[in-house]
Amino acid sequence: MTRPIQTARQIARLAAKEWLLLMRNPHGLAVLFLMPAVFVLIMSFTLKNTLVARVDLPVTGWVMEDTTAIAGQWAKEWFDRHGGQRFASRDELQAALKTRRVEAGVVVRSPLMGADGRPHIEQLELWLGNLVQPAAAARLRAELSFSLLQVQMKIAAAEAGPFASVLLASAGSTELSAQGTPKVRYLYEIESGRAMTAVQQSVPAWLIFGMFFVVIPIAGVLIQERNEGTLARLATFKVSMGAVLGGKLLAFILLNWVQLAFMLVMGRWIVPLLGGDALSLDIHPGWFLLVVVATSAAAVGLALLVAAYTRNFDHAAALGGGLNVVLAAIAGVMVPRMLMPQGLQRLSEWSPMGWALDAMQSVFLGSPSAGHLLPRLGLLSGFAALCMVLSWWALRNTKGAR
Amino acid sequence: MTDGPAVIAAEQLVYRYDKQAEPALCGVDLSIERGQAVGLLGPNGSGKSTLINLLAGLRTPQGGRIRYPGPGVPSVAWVPQEYAFYPELTCLENLRFFAAMLALTGAQAQRRVDGAIQTCMLQEFAGRRARHCSGGVRRRLNLGIALLQQPEVLLLDEPTVGVDPQSRAFLLDRVRDMVRDGTAVLYATHYMEEVSAVCSHIVLLDHGRVLASGDLATLLRGPAGSAPFDHLEALFMHYTRRRLRD
Repeated sequence: MTRPIQTARQIARLAAKEWLLLMRNPHGLAVLFLMPAVFVLIMSFTLKNTLVARVDLPVTGWVMEDTTAIAGQWAKEWFDRHGGQRFASRDELQAALKTRRVEAGVVVRSPLMGADGRPHIEQLELWLGNLVQPAAAARLRAELSFSLLQVQMKIAAAEAGPFASVLLASAGSTELSAQGTPKVRYLYEIESGRAMTAVQQSVPAWLIFGMFFVVIPIAGVLIQERNEGTLARLATFKVSMGAVLGGKLLAFILLNWVQLAFMLVMGRWIVPLLGGDALSLDIHPGWFLLVVVATSAAAVGLALLVAAYTRNFDHAAALGGGLNVVLAAIAGVMVPRMLMPQGLQRLSEWSPMGWALDAMQSVFLGSPSAGHLLPRLGLLSGFAALCMVLSWWALRNTKGAR
Repeated sequence: MTDGPAVIAAEQLVYRYDKQAEPALCGVDLSIERGQAVGLLGPNGSGKSTLINLLAGLRTPQGGRIRYPGPGVPSVAWVPQEYAFYPELTCLENLRFFAAMLALTGAQAQRRVDGAIQTCMLQEFAGRRARHCSGGVRRRLNLGIALLQQPEVLLLDEPTVGVDPQSRAFLLDRVRDMVRDGTAVLYATHYMEEVSAVCSHIVLLDHGRVLASGDLATLLRGPAGSAPFDHLEALFMHYTRRRLRD
């Protein structure tokens, strides 16, 4: 048997051994599969209300303390247009907010009309439940203001006499009212023609996070191999350190593909099953393949580096886990980069997860281009190569004990 | 040290670890013949494991050389003092994995695995994960993995630490069998009775130097003009003194 064939066989068997060990490591499997899946579910729903084009009015309860005809007429028009629920007292409204039967409340204090004969917005109290979205609350405020403005216009038009009939007609028209809000459109939608959803943002982000968490099982086995003399024993079986690292690289790159398939299933079928949006898989396969391979190499390389330079598993788990969380936070995995301040956005350009996320999202969001992807693929591949060389350097003399 | 043809011989070996003032080995000579068991004795930090690492090819000597006087390079296997295998794999999976690292066909590898299981009496535990096995079974597995290499030279580094008397007796019997079958054995230990039971020769090492070496019976007779030693431990204490070590 020639040496290269023997080495290839060794690498394949080493990789198979890594899989076998991983299958028997429930904590490692949970970190690699369960954790990112849970994050996808949580973040897909958490961001659902942030990354939406339409902001709905919150379910609103009303207390009418002004019982004049004009206040009643105004409230009736509001209910006809937006709906709502009447409560007899502030206490009832408060109880309804507390039990989340309504999300917001409007208290119309008496008198709504001021001495000038106009309705005053200061006479309204807006009560917000704890869970009402800021965007929804803002829309409610805007709608209330505009509705009162309409009333003021109607009064002014009535006072203006017979020639104000045209003005009066437009004041009552819904053309003027703030029906909905200006349509929100993301660049992704403009470019791809598809609606931006939270799941489209979350799946690539948490997939990358999960891929980088191979540090836990890789470090667990490698540190045990080093500390228990198994690496030295493998050396006496004429297994080179390159083959050992090659076996791990092969095993965990394959594992990353399994993670990928799992996350795609989560986004495509499980999230919609629970009421979320479905992940769109209308992606460019060639770019997708390259991005996954480069990300995977970077993730395994970083894991090997952490394992090679830490003394025991506790160190590796703390350093590797902590490093991953920091890199993920900087990269925009945990909070979308568009919500970050500019300084932090610039910092994210220095995170390997940031390069991966940039590349992966441009594939998932349907706008990949060579000019955008190649520099990021180059950075990821260079980072992977550097990590592996440094790991090999640290481990090359890992031999028996004194 | 011996008169017959050596399978492996170390000549004036020198090795110093990084950032250590004193060398771990300083001009050590050693040779082992086919079918001979040599006991390697010495206090903690005397250089026993370093010498074994050099002979196993895990480190490169910084001075002196290792020779293989016979035809070709003999197969050298190492049994470390740690359990150098995968605790989450079964005994059988460990044996199969290490066998697969050798340049063997599938059938050859299977035969060696079967042989190791039989020699080390692992049949009952083959399907059990190594971490669930007793210390004695793990020591047997540690030896079994080395046997996969069908060694002509077997380097044992404290192979019986933490096992019960039955397992120790079993391991010593297997080593004796191998010596009888022609394997050259270097046996490093702190247990004098094991050396007395298995080895015909000893090398006594301290501070990286050989204090005494040769035929055990001859050495027990003591230096010329002095009384013979009652037992091996008396000989050991005579040469290494009573000072406690790190």
